Amino acid sequence: MSVCHFFLQGRCRYGEKCWNEHPRGGRGSGGDYQPGHQSNQSNRGGFGNRVWINPSQRSGGGGRPHPSTPSRGGVDWGGGSNGAGGGFGFSQNRFSTLNSQSNFDGGAGSGDENEKHLEAIQKDMEVWQSSGQWPFSTYSILKAPISGFVELSPEELRLEYYTRRSSGDVESYINSVQQLANQWRDRVQELRIMNPSTRVAMTAELSNPRPSGGGLFSSSSSGFSLSSSSGFQAGGFGSSLQSSATFCFSSATTGFGSSGARPGPSGFGSVGVFGSAATPATPSASAFSFTAPAAAKTSAAVSGSVAGFSFSSSSTPSASAAGLGSGFGSSTPAGGGVFGLVTGSSSGFIGGASELYTPQSELTANELKEFTAARFTLGQIPLRPPPAELLTV
Amino acid sequence: MSLFGSSSGFGSGGTGVFGSTTTDSHNPMKDVEVTSPPDDSISCLAFSPPPMPGNFLIGGSWANDVRCWEVQDNGQTVPKAQQMHTGPVLDVCWSDDGSKVFTASCDKTAKMWDLNSNQAMQIAQHEGPIRTIHWIKAPNYSCVMTGSWDKTLKFWDTRSSNPMMSLQMPERCYCADVVYPMAVVATAERGLIVYQLENQPSEFRRIDSPLKHQHRCVAIFKDKQNKPTGFALGSIEGRVAIHYINPPNPAKDNFTFKCHRSNGTNTATPQDIYAVNAIAFHPVHGTLATVGSDGRFSFWDKDARTKLKTSEQLDQPITACCFNHNGNIFAYSSSYDWSKVQTVPSHVRKTTSSCGMRLRSSSLGTRNGESGISVTMEMVSVARQGCPPSFIPGCFC
Repeated sequence: MSVCHFFLQGRCRYGEKCWNEHPRGGRGSGGDYQPGHQSNQSNRGGFGNRVWINPSQRSGGGGRPHPSTPSRGGVDWGGGSNGAGGGFGFSQNRFSTLNSQSNFDGGAGSGDENEKHLEAIQKDMEVWQSSGQWPFSTYSILKAPISGFVELSPEELRLEYYTRRSSGDVESYINSVQQLANQWRDRVQELRIMNPSTRVAMTAELSNPRPSGGGLFSSSSSGFSLSSSSGFQAGGFGSSLQSSATFCFSSATTGFGSSGARPGPSGFGSVGVFGSAATPATPSASAFSFTAPAAAKTSAAVSGSVAGFSFSSSSTPSASAAGLGSGFGSSTPAGGGVFGLVTGSSSGFIGGASELYTPQSELTANELKEFTAARFTLGQIPLRPPPAELLTV
Repeated sequence: MSLFGSSSGFGSGGTGVFGSTTTDSHNPMKDVEVTSPPDDSISCLAFSPPPMPGNFLIGGSWANDVRCWEVQDNGQTVPKAQQMHTGPVLDVCWSDDGSKVFTASCDKTAKMWDLNSNQAMQIAQHEGPIRTIHWIKAPNYSCVMTGSWDKTLKFWDTRSSNPMMSLQMPERCYCADVVYPMAVVATAERGLIVYQLENQPSEFRRIDSPLKHQHRCVAIFKDKQNKPTGFALGSIEGRVAIHYINPPNPAKDNFTFKCHRSNGTNTATPQDIYAVNAIAFHPVHGTLATVGSDGRFSFWDKDARTKLKTSEQLDQPITACCFNHNGNIFAYSSSYDWSKVQTVPSHVRKTTSSCGMRLRSSSLGTRNGESGISVTMEMVSVARQGCPPSFIPGCFC
């Protein structure tokens, strides 16, 4: 029997009665809405796992027997009379690619899967750009979040505005928000266009999800967790608004994502902004982004982007320390260049070619303890880079 | 009838100043308008629980206050009392006997407000703004659960200043819901944790988020035996996920649906996508209501997977909603929710726009799919209150 291709798309009208074969395999019940006769009850209630594939996306999955799941869910629920699946979006199946007993023909190769994911990312970015939805949100296609996005809730931002307003400093709030918004726009654009270097970086990121504590991505973990591939750390802002008057989004623990491979905004941009308020409570840890060798050639651009990084006020003894972009295994001209940004700070890094690593002998006992620990402790994150000996890549 | 003594020139409750516009987008559903709403955005609403006679509505706002109204059977609302915090109030809840109200605020404290004596005392302290507060009544203990942006979840016995228990979360708490013995907390970075509350609260499971974007609101639903069995999770991306804790068939039973988007089926033009600001379940029928940044509220039946009704569009986002204990009254608040952040300068100006709260009565969300809502109470269209002088109609960018 031939395979029923409507079933594969999730819209076979005959269901069990279909003369063609309905391969079972991770697709749930497939389409079995019988228009008209049969119980209208089950029509409504038992749609099961219908993945309504956006026709525009089908081209990506064309040649494969099982279109994989990150297809966009369908239309909004109609009043129930719209029999075409009612369009409730993808279900848990989206994550089935992560299951070990994946019953997709994973033999299609992870390369294909990644392709699908990348396309889905592009589509999502397009939607995100045009829809006017909240920009400061994390985003992910698989379990782990995609790097380069800031997670802020409207309430946090609003509170920030209120506190700034009471201290008369509305301008800086507006600037901060604009900076964040620009960063977001750039990142979305980048992911949408998906030029080759982004593609490489994303593929790496997707296949090697960052180690995350407890199964949930913890943006408060140290900027140190290196993944063997691209090692981008999402710009997670730790709990914000700790000190009342500051917009200091880092409570010393955030790892800022810097897209080492692309001429995009670095996550540091935002640090600059926030450092601009009154003294941040604790200095933030630096994020070290180690670009994958393949993409290292563009890391020159990184420095460029960081130059756009400015602390708008100079009152902070902020050691929002420099992140280092260093190309592993490939020497990049600017790779050694550390973009350190400090304004009038006494204890921060100085921008320019400072060291990549601190020699172990120079570390204080506390710093050494932190570096060797599995995670950083809040408030104790060292401000200097670790010694090369401690790094495992 | 400014019992609340606010300064924004309300006049004597209800005499319309603006009533003459033909298309009243301020109250297009002609629902009962609550008198003397707060001066700034309303962040949370809660109706009194069953033991209390009558219906009392509590609303917390960004004007640092918490107000209490009595909702009478004829639909009139009577302002009763008010308490202040030193920071915007983010969440409120009632104790199970209806004698106390708990309020959580950005000033990092939570207070217990005894309605009989109209006294409020502080019962909790966090290191960051407290985002959620819930009362837990277990057979062997009762406490207040507070979730905060300092990434901790603390449980307080109201008599002591130290928490009974403090649980660490992976990220800032964004929303939570409690239906004994289950509690769900959704955090930043798409974290989702379920706690079980029997004996003492402990983490039950961490769940991979079914949504791709930031979590915004969560509400637990119950099964036919009145036991909590799953939750609805809303995100900023106009999508709600229905998730069962132990479903017989996860792939089939759990699903997501899109809501609060413009031009529903027309895929030609890009959709506008709005955040789902709050979700509430009808206590009797089990249908759910969602309110969004687009200024609409919708009722859905999650078992039949259908939409029951969507309201007309209001001129402002709807920030909070709740049902009263028997489901006869649905209250929602319309005020700015900070969602227009991309148009920064003018969005900041919005904080002066007017806020409203409305009540809708109904035998809502009945499953026979009636298109109209049957009204048990006469709907009184109260004209818009006077607005602060700086308000310019139409300046909503």
